[in-house]
Amino acid sequence: MDITIRNLRRRFGKVEALRGVDLELSGGMFGLLGANGAGKTTLMRIIAGVLSPTSGQVLIGGHDMSTRQGRVAVQRRLGYLPQDLGLYPDLTAVEFLDYIGLLKGLDDRTARRRQIAELLEVVGLSDVANRKLKGFSGGMRRRVGIAQALLGDPALLVVDEPTAGLDPQERIRFRTLLATLPGRRTVLLSTHVVEDVAQTCRETAVMVDGRIVFTGAVSDLVRGAEGVTWEVVTSGPPPTVGEIVSAVSDAGGTRYRVVSVTPPDPAAIPVPPSLEDGYVAFMQGAAAGRSSA
Amino acid sequence: MIRYEFLMQIRKRSLWISMGLLAVITVLGQGDAGPRYLPDDASARVVASSWAFLWSLLLPIVAGMVLADRLVRDDRLGVSRLLESLPTTATTRVMGRFLGALAATATPIFLATVIAGGAESISREDPAVLLWTPIAFGLVLLPGLVFVGAFAMVVPLLLTAPLFRVLFVGYWFWGNMLGPSYMPSLAGTLLTPVGDYTASWLLGERALYAGADGWLQLLRPEPNGVTAALSVALLLGVGLIPLLVGSRVLARRATA
Repeated sequence: MDITIRNLRRRFGKVEALRGVDLELSGGMFGLLGANGAGKTTLMRIIAGVLSPTSGQVLIGGHDMSTRQGRVAVQRRLGYLPQDLGLYPDLTAVEFLDYIGLLKGLDDRTARRRQIAELLEVVGLSDVANRKLKGFSGGMRRRVGIAQALLGDPALLVVDEPTAGLDPQERIRFRTLLATLPGRRTVLLSTHVVEDVAQTCRETAVMVDGRIVFTGAVSDLVRGAEGVTWEVVTSGPPPTVGEIVSAVSDAGGTRYRVVSVTPPDPAAIPVPPSLEDGYVAFMQGAAAGRSSA
Repeated sequence: MIRYEFLMQIRKRSLWISMGLLAVITVLGQGDAGPRYLPDDASARVVASSWAFLWSLLLPIVAGMVLADRLVRDDRLGVSRLLESLPTTATTRVMGRFLGALAATATPIFLATVIAGGAESISREDPAVLLWTPIAFGLVLLPGLVFVGAFAMVVPLLLTAPLFRVLFVGYWFWGNMLGPSYMPSLAGTLLTPVGDYTASWLLGERALYAGADGWLQLLRPEPNGVTAALSVALLLGVGLIPLLVGSRVLARRATA
């Protein structure tokens, strides 16, 4: 499902959450990266049709999201996992999914029940399908969330911060699940966790202060940190040049990973960058651009 | 959808505990004028209607209380955004919730009516009391529950559930129990959700204040079959207004 966004703006009182977003994407898995408060959730909500833009245009599958007909047409083919999704605690997993399925317009009871059973299997919740949701852990709730999003086999899947609050094992499991989803559908993954995008997406965009500042292949974002990613091992104070991406202490001192245009230390050695390094390098450039503007 | 709304509401312990407690208090505190003390030769229609009217005095307060959070709790639980992203209209969602939650909330009251009707049937050796029970429930209690339920679900969207609950209790005693001769009130009008007009018609005498002189005299005709039907129609009709308003409010919020 193609998405075309032109000069999208959204204002909340005096705060401008989106400041002229332009974005084009088609099928496959697409990652939207950005710090908290960058405007990702606002953009996701507009794409899901639960928030109106202040100005600009959003076309999804040829449907104009500024019209009610357009929104409904998209919502019929949409799976949406909002950030901080809550569930009805007094319903079981099967009942909740059946409830959402009905609201999605899946009227064939047999087919709906069959799909719910399949999805519970996919997300690994078959054993607790008839247990009330109030007894579910955060990770299990998230999995119910992704199951409801997949109900009806949507052509567009919008998942907002899906791994927030999950433990490492749940996060890996969730990423693996996300990576298997695209097929012929478009999956839009919004996250501030760079690793989530690194593990699941080929294309990505980076949002800063309500604007898209990068769109392209994940490998291009990584490439941006080539030659500026360093490793420094020292028992002294941390490097003051560049931005420290990680710090791991061991017997020989602390091993710092630093993104910096110039070597952060005479003993620094260049290392191949990861997506996280690329993201940090890009944000440094964006910040430098903002400060010089 | 109605089925799941029903299930969510019927599984609330607070519904059963508060209804049960208030039902016991109502039975124990009914006094000499209560249906327990009706003469042995009272007709089945009068006995069943008296019990329905007794329940209608206080149990709808619990109904209003427990229904007050049904729409606003979606925000609290974090379900609103998901529901708004679905293709179902706000009107469908509001109506589905209303019907399911109201049916569940009315269930304990219906059971109380049936239990009382069954007990009276046995003690009076008159099975007709049990036959009149659902009719009395449908005419005396149900219209008021629809009226109360609609306002209870929607008004908290505009105020808050706790504030609504406080105001609602005040309204209930002012609009139903406070005699119109004491101060201007809606008690005894066609819009009295306690079921004064239908109960008066079924009992063959004034149940509480139906038709008594007072404020808004136009809404205080003599109680009879026609005015009882008019009261039912008004309660159901006016009950639709908050549901329509609630649908609009949710639809606006969905894309605000």
